[in-house]
Amino acid sequence: MTPAGKITVSVASRVAHVDLIHAISDQVAALVGFDGDEVLNLGLAVREAAINAIKHGNGMDPRKKVQVVFEFDERALTIAVRDRGRGFDPDAVADPTLPENLLQTSGRGILLMKAFVDRIEVHGGNGKGAEVCLYKVRRDPSLRCHEGN
Amino acid sequence: MLARLRTVGGVEVLELSGKITIADGEGDLHRLVQGLLEAGRTHILISLERVGFMDSGGLGELIACYKRATERGGIIKLLRPTGKVADLLSLSKMTELLEVFQDEGEAIASF
Repeated sequence: MTPAGKITVSVASRVAHVDLIHAISDQVAALVGFDGDEVLNLGLAVREAAINAIKHGNGMDPRKKVQVVFEFDERALTIAVRDRGRGFDPDAVADPTLPENLLQTSGRGILLMKAFVDRIEVHGGNGKGAEVCLYKVRRDPSLRCHEGN
Repeated sequence: MLARLRTVGGVEVLELSGKITIADGEGDLHRLVQGLLEAGRTHILISLERVGFMDSGGLGELIACYKRATERGGIIKLLRPTGKVADLLSLSKMTELLEVFQDEGEAIASF
């Protein structure tokens, strides 16, 4: 069993850094003990959260950082993706699978995040930046995000 | 992303390989399809058999290609998506918009 740990990554808001964050997610998920398909799913969810933070949260402004915190223990892996944006309500985002939205060329990131982790939460948006928390449970499904980290 | 183009029965078969993501491939796909459409080649079959990964950027670019083709009276269809790419197309219900085929001959005949 991998001991509990915390890994923090901070990058400038450049699209090229999405691949870097994705690669780190794959490494951390494998280290924690998730299997191949779970690693793939987690990586996709983290990737989408990073895209959202870089594009929409920070407006692709390379002076603004995106911070990704991987925190794991015996129960779960939690990934917090933080930007300097205003945040959003994931339940208020238009459903891209509705017939009237199928022709939209964006707006599928939240759908993919929700599909590939056990739970997502969005915090902040009060002028201090936003945080998307992704949870992937190993054993105990009651684990909650460490708000305010 | 790598691409190979051939013409079969008046249909442009665009065989893609690698990944189509916001960071890699999205722009290439845009330029390739745009070039075909500007040349009046508006019946396009995109083979995804060798595309191993796609993110929301890639999905969005497929929709953008579909929209540009239909605006010119053409159509874009998909051939043999596999693995996670097939999962994403299904999950996003894009398969309700973009027709998907497993057999190339059947796909060509459908245009």
